[in-house]
Amino acid sequence: MNTLPYFDPALMIALPLLAAFLIPLLKRASERIPKFVPLLILGFNLYESIALLPHSLQKPIVVIIAAWQPPLGINLTIGPLGNILALIISLVGFVVAVYNIKFVLEEPGEKYYMLFLLMITGATGMVLTGDLFNLFVFLEITSISAYALTAFIRDRNGAEAAFKYLLIGSISSTMILLGIALIYASTGTLNMADIAQKIGQVDSRITLAALILMIVGFGVESEIFPLNGWAPDAYSQAPTPVGAVFGGIVVKAGVYGLARVIYTIFSFQGVFHFILIMGIITLLMAEMSALRQKQIKRMLAFSSIGQMGLVLIALGLATQNAVAGGLFQMFNHALIKPLLFLSAGYLVYYSGSKDIGDLDGMGKIKPVTSFFFAFGAFALMGLPPLNGFWSKLIIISETVKSGYIVLAALALTGSIIEAVYYLRVVGRLYFKSPEEHVKTKYVHASAVVAMSILAGLALFAGLFPDVILHYLQPAARELMDKTQYIQAVIAIK
Amino acid sequence: MIYYIGAFSLILIGIYAVLVKRNLIKIVIGLSLVDAGVHLLLIAIGYIKDKTAPIFSNPSLSAGDMVDPVPQALVLTAIVIGVAVTALALTIVIRLYDHHKTLNINKIRELKW
Amino acid sequence: MRKVFAMLFLAIIGFYLFNTFALIPFGKNKMNADVAASYLNSGVQKTGAVNIVTSIVVNYRGFDTLGEVTVLFLAATGMGALLFRKKPMQRSRQNASVIVKTGARILFPLIIILGVYVFVHGHLTPGGGFQGGAIIASGFLLMFMSYRTYKVNHKVLSLFETFAGTSFVLLGLFGLIWGTSFLANILPFGEANTLFSAGIIPLIYIAVGIKVGSELTAVLDTMLKTVK
Repeated sequence: MNTLPYFDPALMIALPLLAAFLIPLLKRASERIPKFVPLLILGFNLYESIALLPHSLQKPIVVIIAAWQPPLGINLTIGPLGNILALIISLVGFVVAVYNIKFVLEEPGEKYYMLFLLMITGATGMVLTGDLFNLFVFLEITSISAYALTAFIRDRNGAEAAFKYLLIGSISSTMILLGIALIYASTGTLNMADIAQKIGQVDSRITLAALILMIVGFGVESEIFPLNGWAPDAYSQAPTPVGAVFGGIVVKAGVYGLARVIYTIFSFQGVFHFILIMGIITLLMAEMSALRQKQIKRMLAFSSIGQMGLVLIALGLATQNAVAGGLFQMFNHALIKPLLFLSAGYLVYYSGSKDIGDLDGMGKIKPVTSFFFAFGAFALMGLPPLNGFWSKLIIISETVKSGYIVLAALALTGSIIEAVYYLRVVGRLYFKSPEEHVKTKYVHASAVVAMSILAGLALFAGLFPDVILHYLQPAARELMDKTQYIQAVIAIK
Repeated sequence: MIYYIGAFSLILIGIYAVLVKRNLIKIVIGLSLVDAGVHLLLIAIGYIKDKTAPIFSNPSLSAGDMVDPVPQALVLTAIVIGVAVTALALTIVIRLYDHHKTLNINKIRELKW
Repeated sequence: MRKVFAMLFLAIIGFYLFNTFALIPFGKNKMNADVAASYLNSGVQKTGAVNIVTSIVVNYRGFDTLGEVTVLFLAATGMGALLFRKKPMQRSRQNASVIVKTGARILFPLIIILGVYVFVHGHLTPGGGFQGGAIIASGFLLMFMSYRTYKVNHKVLSLFETFAGTSFVLLGLFGLIWGTSFLANILPFGEANTLFSAGIIPLIYIAVGIKVGSELTAVLDTMLKTVK
């Protein structure tokens, strides 16, 4: 396989920052430029993460920053997992940026693009960095831009949702800081590989407390059950593309942080059962709540939480196949949830109401948007030729293999509930008679392009799941076996 | 040890304010208190008895006379992040006040909490 | 009732956490030979800055500082977006008395100079870009409080912000082009303990100081304008 030339991976973070700082200046040149900046930068990131992939699959790439060897300086450690997630993040970010071109925005538009670009940069930084405190800093970049974007439509409920999100988010990030304090005090280092090496000698009471603090902290972004109260409000009140990015990117970065902490840094045996239980509770609670929702975006938000519950189950099983299945599920979710959000955004725009009840008969008036929504719904609930089927199949069969028959049955129940409420919406779209007062506007070309890219990739992943799994297996191996990760960083020294 | 106790008191008072107080401004103050507590704790962890600040301003100082510099650097970063979060929280409070003309959180709940 | 619950809940959490932290000895030297000690032992020779905290913040962990600057930038941007109004708002402060006004006018340049001093000498004395920037913003706050009509030009402020932010990233990129890695030092260290020493550290701190000063000033100005 001939490889593409690649640049220093630090550019994947430096260039977006540079661009975000420059946007106010560019806006003075022309009002239209800021729109295209995220497109350009995320296109670069996409290219870069594709070019890096063959290298990182062989062994983790360690990028030194400020010319200091780890553990003295901060370094980026790009293993298969980080690289694949960076690829997903850049891809979804790029697609949403395409959608953004024609998205109707309130003033001040250029600030929206700055926040949007920085949110994606924060998530990219989270999955690439090899330093625990740096992970915290990037988590804050992601979440602060997320708070601001949640309230971006300056209405009553937006501010309320943002305040709720900020309250939960900032308390939990304080918890991460406390955990970092414990870890630094007992190991004397902040480099993740170095910590992983030294954590064995630390008093187990300290590790346990630090682990709990970290799980609470990352649990907010990854929507674990008691900490996900912010999600439905934030998803439904934020502008549509932002909701798509929450589901497609922010959650993925949160789960990455969680996985990195529980697998690489701590690998504490008892915790996997805990994650498993939390996963199944999260799944069931979310699917039950989704069933009761009247607003389409809230329903999508709860379904997103449910999907993360499934990923947590896979992570809690802690076998390589299960983890690969969980990553596959994350990959699928990252493609489909933005698709659903973007199409639902247009459906909401046409009907002028956020309620599911007002979407009757949209399939006849708006065939394109409705088709994409239905496609996404089928893919997410796991209809056989589509991608959601394979990841759910892997996770549930691995659950059975590990001997948790009851859990497998519960997870299956969750999936069935999911199918019920998605089919209900799709049924309304196609089999009810439309109402009169529907806006007759066509979907913008940019939105169609964005949604077709997502749908096409989802179809590809469904038809050729082995190709995707071929890349996901090394990533799962990286999580299961941390020695290679540690070796790569230590070898630099 | 007194620093640990002080830091934990700050953190707990802050979380208490967030949980119990109904006034948005008081909740934001609670958040800042939690932040301050964690920063104090980090600094306390880096403290070494009878040692001085890690600045070689005087040729007679040697590396053995200094406290751990890393927590101080981390706290510098964490303070700025705390300031940013507080500023944004206050902005959102201003917006909430604009819409609802009240700071009482019980009267604002329109979304399901 | 909820107060009692909250207290009980916090007492349990606090007790558990405190017991855990009590396992970490207070005031003992627990510096690991690896990281913290090598910062202290070789920091001055290898970065040229006598203030080790500065050398960690700007050089060893410079990437964090870039993130931190971004966080502040985000807060200012988010605030500008959320408080955006079509018609500009005014400050509602009453005019201050003559004594306050005169005092503010005398103090303002001194405060600005102090702020600049603090961030220019960040590698020599306690202080640095963030502290200096905060001092500058406090000088502007004094002017806002005492003069109702005192205005700052937001375009100029955002120009400063952009200039400072891009120069930080560009300094990093120069390190990538002429040095070995992003944010690597490309300038000579000079003689330690003098103003022109420590390579790119003072340059970065000057950029950070300008950025923080202009950002915080913009934030204060936006927040104070609440009346139509």
